[in-house]
Amino acid sequence: MSTSAHPMLKYLKTQAPTGPRLPLILCPGCGAGQVLNYTLHAVDRILEEDNWPKEHFVFISGVGCSSRLTSHYLQFDSGWTLHGRSLAIATGALLANPRLKIIVFTGDGDAAAIGGNHFIHACRRNLNMTIICINNGLYGMTGGQVAPTTELGETTPTTPHGNVEDPFDLCRLAETAGAPYVARWTTAHPRQAIKTITKGIRKNGTAFIEILSQCPVHKKTAPVELFRRLREITVSKKDTDAIAAGKIPLGEFCNLDKSDWIARYQQIIENARSPEAD
Amino acid sequence: MPISGSKHLIQPGNYYLQGAQACAEGAMLAGCRVYAGYPITPATEIMEHFARRLPQLDGRAIQMEDEIASASVLLGASWAGTKAMTATSSPGFSLMQEVISFAIMTETPLVIVDVQRPGPGQGYITTSQEDVMQARWGHHGEGSIIALSPASVQDMFDLTIEAFNLAERWRTPVLIMAEETVAHMREPLVIPPHAEITVVDRVKPQDQGIAPQDYLPYGHGEVPPMAIWGEGYNINHVSLVHYEDGTVTRYNARTHFENVSRIHQKIENHIDEITKVDARFIDDCRHLLICYGSVSRTGVEAVLEARERYGLNIGFIRLKTLWPFAEARLRALVPEVETIFVPEMNLGMMIHPITEALRDRCSNIISIPSLGCLHTPDQILARIREELT
Amino acid sequence: MPVNDRYEIRIAGFGGQGVVTIGKILGTAFSVFAGINSVNTQSYGPESRGGACRSEVVVSQGEINYPYVRHADVLIALSQVALDTYLADLKESGILMLDPGSVQTVTDADHFRIIKVPVAALAHETGGLKFQNIVALGALHAVIADLISEDALKDAIQATVPPDTLAPNLAAFDKGKQYINHHLKR
Repeated sequence: MSTSAHPMLKYLKTQAPTGPRLPLILCPGCGAGQVLNYTLHAVDRILEEDNWPKEHFVFISGVGCSSRLTSHYLQFDSGWTLHGRSLAIATGALLANPRLKIIVFTGDGDAAAIGGNHFIHACRRNLNMTIICINNGLYGMTGGQVAPTTELGETTPTTPHGNVEDPFDLCRLAETAGAPYVARWTTAHPRQAIKTITKGIRKNGTAFIEILSQCPVHKKTAPVELFRRLREITVSKKDTDAIAAGKIPLGEFCNLDKSDWIARYQQIIENARSPEAD
Repeated sequence: MPISGSKHLIQPGNYYLQGAQACAEGAMLAGCRVYAGYPITPATEIMEHFARRLPQLDGRAIQMEDEIASASVLLGASWAGTKAMTATSSPGFSLMQEVISFAIMTETPLVIVDVQRPGPGQGYITTSQEDVMQARWGHHGEGSIIALSPASVQDMFDLTIEAFNLAERWRTPVLIMAEETVAHMREPLVIPPHAEITVVDRVKPQDQGIAPQDYLPYGHGEVPPMAIWGEGYNINHVSLVHYEDGTVTRYNARTHFENVSRIHQKIENHIDEITKVDARFIDDCRHLLICYGSVSRTGVEAVLEARERYGLNIGFIRLKTLWPFAEARLRALVPEVETIFVPEMNLGMMIHPITEALRDRCSNIISIPSLGCLHTPDQILARIREELT
Repeated sequence: MPVNDRYEIRIAGFGGQGVVTIGKILGTAFSVFAGINSVNTQSYGPESRGGACRSEVVVSQGEINYPYVRHADVLIALSQVALDTYLADLKESGILMLDPGSVQTVTDADHFRIIKVPVAALAHETGGLKFQNIVALGALHAVIADLISEDALKDAIQATVPPDTLAPNLAAFDKGKQYINHHLKR
């Protein structure tokens, strides 16, 4: 491998029988590619340090720009699935094979609009999966329309006169719904993101990690400027004054120990199959 | 593959069960170990039976937050290598159509039971056959589908096993179009020795000696061998129009046509192999009654009485498979007849492909509709006698 | 019973009266314990209690095609509405069993064999109102004993009811049976 090759290329399918797979279909400056990079770094670290077989990792996504990350780029098992339903699909995979290490790429629309119901129940059920939500505050794939995470007042193609709705706080939603591990970073915080994603994958149970991301095309703003803004509108969760003044908190919001769905159900299976059972 | 010898599987013998229970037991014998569902009358008994029984078989049953989630669970379970099923009723069936469309395109084996109830809307909670067209055409887009029509508790057992086998063999979702009548009735059920039950499993690339680096997820033949998650094949399931290697970029119309045609023809080219039709009193019959599902129970009674009591030469055909539609088989079976009666628990649905198939054999094809309840023998006989005497 | 003959039993009342349960017990008695083919069906409204409810058992030595009652040999009517709805389907030679406490009016009833059994009152004397359906079952058995044995019915009760309610259920059955034997001539 040449010294200038990207270290995570070993996890990507660069060639297909029909031709080269790269570059990624994502727009130049899109944050989703960075999130993929951070996630692969996390997986790389885990493959090196823990004893998990690479074959057990499965990436599942729904529909949207963030969900394109699984569209046959990965040297892993994956599924590029239905808009909003990736968490229910992940649930099915775990019910069939609890040993799978499932990482879900989703977007703010995919998770919190059409997927909202499945999102809160996945957090509540606490099956062992890592949900990485790439939140760019809009619907990128279809042209930049308003999302449940768009700020009040924003102009988008479907709110041309200004958005009249308040946005979700996805982390608070996940935490309230019962996810035992909830955290938020941005694409402009690579080291923290990699560390948190690593922790989330290792966490037994539902880990929800929101990564605030940039969409240069629909924001009509250069990526570097969007990075600056991401760092400007966010603060450490410890900075309560800044948060009270309207900054978005970053960091780990909860890290609870909670028995997961499979473990609880396993008890039922063992009772049902014990010699003393009816 | 032989049925594993778990003592928790229902043992061979004679039972007296509801259709719902027979369906669940058949599924478990066929290897179903994941069930996901949402409560809805009149299908809930199926889920409740699975909830009690699956843990005994080291399987997992879950009640999801809605029917869309329930059907979605089946996708993940199937891709992870396990046979999976859900049961719902008509309003839930409508919700599942996007997942069915997706399953067709990704060629994912799974089984969905629709215990039909009247519509539209909430309709009622009694029996119906109003979803039989939705079964074929409810999913958006092209792609054929398999739909079976049970008429007894024994059928609910046998056809559920058949449904799983068809799903695995043809890498497709399979629908069991039951009705409240057959799901709730209680009748004798015979479970044969397990060795006599055929269970089919999907072909995997390993079975054909195809290594991961040579594997084409949607290639290697009419029905692509199916890689399972967790076995190193780096399979990516995708439902955009795709090449054999799963590529979705570099779109062109020819690849699109080949991709979707293959999925469509995979079923349509094998109608003879897939479909089942029962026929009685066909030779030299002057008239014919064609029916499916629970209506077959009334249809047979009416035909027997028409023949024995009223001397009418009526034949009887029951469609055990609704889709793909067995047009060629029907045409081979049916002579020229004067009248064809088609009783359905709807305002006339399967009568359309029946008419298309037999229009040159009979110019008087008559619908006998019923909504919300099973036809009585007297009801069908009255219509027959009105027409023929 | 000749092979193609059907014997048809219909029980009707309100949800909560145990109508569905006795249909299931009868079907189980015939098919599981007496080895006679039967189909048991039921229909009810969406309400758990109070809506109209009906349960049927069709019995035959041969195949059973149409699974519902065409012309009932037996109608057990546990409510006035049940009687009014289903009397017309009862065969002329049929048996009509009703609780005079809850069914007041019987019209056009000369040719039926009417058996009045105060199942609710009798149930109160044993385990309580919820056993009225089993009282009816015991009474019914006394009338159709040549079709199905008491053992088959009692085995079916045991296979159907929760184990800790078996004793009061069997007592209710006997109560109904005794009422017939004491009060009515065959």
